[in-house]
Amino acid sequence: MATAMELRTRAKRRKLIIQGALIVLSVIVVLGAIQSARVNLAALGITSGFGFLERGTGWDYSFSLIPKSINDPYSKTLFIGFLNMMFVGFISIILSTIFGFLFGTARDASNIALKTAASVYVQIFRNIPLILQLIFLYSVLIHFPGPRQAMSIADAVFLSNRGVMIPGLNVPPSVALGLLIASLLLVAVLILLKTPLMRGLLYWLGGTVFGCIAAALIFAPAGESIFSIPALAGLRFRGGITVPIELAAMIVSIVLYGSAYIAEVVRGGLNQVPRGLTEAGQALGLTPRYIWSRIKLPMALRSIIPPLVNQWIFIMKATTIGVAIGFSDLFMLVSTSITQSGQTLELIAILMLAFLLVNFAIAQFGNWLNARMKLKAH
Amino acid sequence: MLTKATVVSMAAAAIAMLPGAVLAESPTVKEIQERGTMLCSGHNGSYFGFVEVNDKNEWKGLDIDICRALTTAILGDPEKAQIVPLSWAQRFPALQSGDVDIIIKATGWTMGRDTELGLQFSLPYFFGGTQFMAHGELGITDATGLEGGTICVEAGTTIERISANYMSTIGVEHTIVSYESAAELRAAYLANRCDAFAGWGPNLAVLRATEIDNPDAHIILSDKLSSEPIAAAMRQGDEDFVDVVNWMLAALLIAEEEGVTKANVAEMAATPPNPRVARLLGVEPGMGERLGLRETWAREMIAAMGNFGEIYDRNLGKDSAYNLDRGLNNLWSHGGVLYAPILD
Repeated sequence: MATAMELRTRAKRRKLIIQGALIVLSVIVVLGAIQSARVNLAALGITSGFGFLERGTGWDYSFSLIPKSINDPYSKTLFIGFLNMMFVGFISIILSTIFGFLFGTARDASNIALKTAASVYVQIFRNIPLILQLIFLYSVLIHFPGPRQAMSIADAVFLSNRGVMIPGLNVPPSVALGLLIASLLLVAVLILLKTPLMRGLLYWLGGTVFGCIAAALIFAPAGESIFSIPALAGLRFRGGITVPIELAAMIVSIVLYGSAYIAEVVRGGLNQVPRGLTEAGQALGLTPRYIWSRIKLPMALRSIIPPLVNQWIFIMKATTIGVAIGFSDLFMLVSTSITQSGQTLELIAILMLAFLLVNFAIAQFGNWLNARMKLKAH
Repeated sequence: MLTKATVVSMAAAAIAMLPGAVLAESPTVKEIQERGTMLCSGHNGSYFGFVEVNDKNEWKGLDIDICRALTTAILGDPEKAQIVPLSWAQRFPALQSGDVDIIIKATGWTMGRDTELGLQFSLPYFFGGTQFMAHGELGITDATGLEGGTICVEAGTTIERISANYMSTIGVEHTIVSYESAAELRAAYLANRCDAFAGWGPNLAVLRATEIDNPDAHIILSDKLSSEPIAAAMRQGDEDFVDVVNWMLAALLIAEEEGVTKANVAEMAATPPNPRVARLLGVEPGMGERLGLRETWAREMIAAMGNFGEIYDRNLGKDSAYNLDRGLNNLWSHGGVLYAPILD
């Protein structure tokens, strides 16, 4: 007994020493790399450090959710890039997940036509590189008519090669941002209160519409309509919301690609549900929809979530393709900042840190979701 | 086993095999001579007139020819220039990490590049300004007509800054879309994604003249946003290399001033018309030794590439498809701003 204990302590100590040595070694390697970079940069006469973040950029870029100007410091420009990345990333993640579940379920369906259609969709969009799909889609979109020949639906929605123009609320951008945050908060509250799905959706929709109308009534400039409708003025549309063609191309292509992958994950999950469970449902006389929502999906979710989270992280990383079509995502703004300021190492470090943070957060959320979904008795 | 003696004798043999066996003072030149090739900056695609790839997959253009001239000056053979394709964004990191020896690629001399980026520039060899090209159907003649419009620009260039600055000065509200590659930018402009294309004047003129089916459908707006001095960029700290590059450019200009051309250089060297030409072509000593090069480097360079005027005409001017006027890029004696330092 005593020797066994002793051996175990010794093994434990040995492991501690190895780990300690590894940590010391990695610290030395990292510090050495930083030191050698610093010496080399100094030798080349390159100014290093983060002082440039406070300097104005002096250049402009295509897309921002918040007001921007050419006098913004690099820090604000990079922050806008971060917001753009999060904006495209989260919209794409949500839409890809929804479409992925739809197509994945369709691939598992017994209806041959539905199954074939979903299979074709998945095979096409999964097997063509994302960047190729994006460039193809963008080349098609920029050949739409120009703003002065824009296609219009009821003179309220316009489609041109500058973007999609839709009517919006006649409120300042800050109020619009506030509404968006309030709407997201409502989702969080409804989830925390464990409201059933359908009723929750209804509450959320009602609450959001009510919030929008209330905000428009309060904040719309006096004497103007609460809706702002796009109208051609000179070279562009005034009023309404313009979704630039680059943003639309980014979201559509990422969603097509991401949802094809998620569809495969969902199909795999559904396949793993033992046939006996489905048959038991059928024996009880449950409808196929009921079998899907009460038996198959809850069972499948447990094997879907881990690979699904992987796909989410992948989609977040895919936002870097904006650089190919002139969409100002974080990667594009970092890349332009590198040429304009020359601070390559610092900017790449910022880029890596931003992605690490976001993807680590998504992974943590995935772990939490996985833990919650675990069968309690297992 | 390598003994010290064999290493020394091998090194000596290697040095003896170099053409002319002149030892350069500049570490960069020394490195180029030891390597036997010169690494020059190319482009990811074609930047017409300056750095372009022709249908035989060969590099050509004004900047490529200047690089070949420099290669001839250092290595005695224009074919020893190796062109490394680089995007605009990659060019400075590539220079700093030693992937190229020099950037000769329509690069403007800016304060930031000169100081923080750790670069140093040669004499300017070209002047060109930022301008806008717009679709003719808009019916505008200057940038005030772009109110509310969209302007496309190449990301990471000085043009991006200059056009943003100019538009904010004249107070014209507009949207910018910036692209990383020139091909994307051109496609987007031609598809009418943007109303105007902010670019470098000579490049816009070249584009309009050759790449666009109907040149009359496009107008170059009258605004002249800047005149940028274009110079070769080198790593800081090798002054002797800057001297070599400056005198290479000077030799091209002096040759043009004196009427020394590719065709008559041999004849001129045999019977130099004046002492300046004699010194330039290495008939009288001084040209090579002071730079750590061969005495006849300029003669070989002109025999291979021609003088500055010939290089311009071949790539941009009357002997090219673009037929651009020389304008500012002529010798001072012909109404331009190019001049050479004094050859004494």
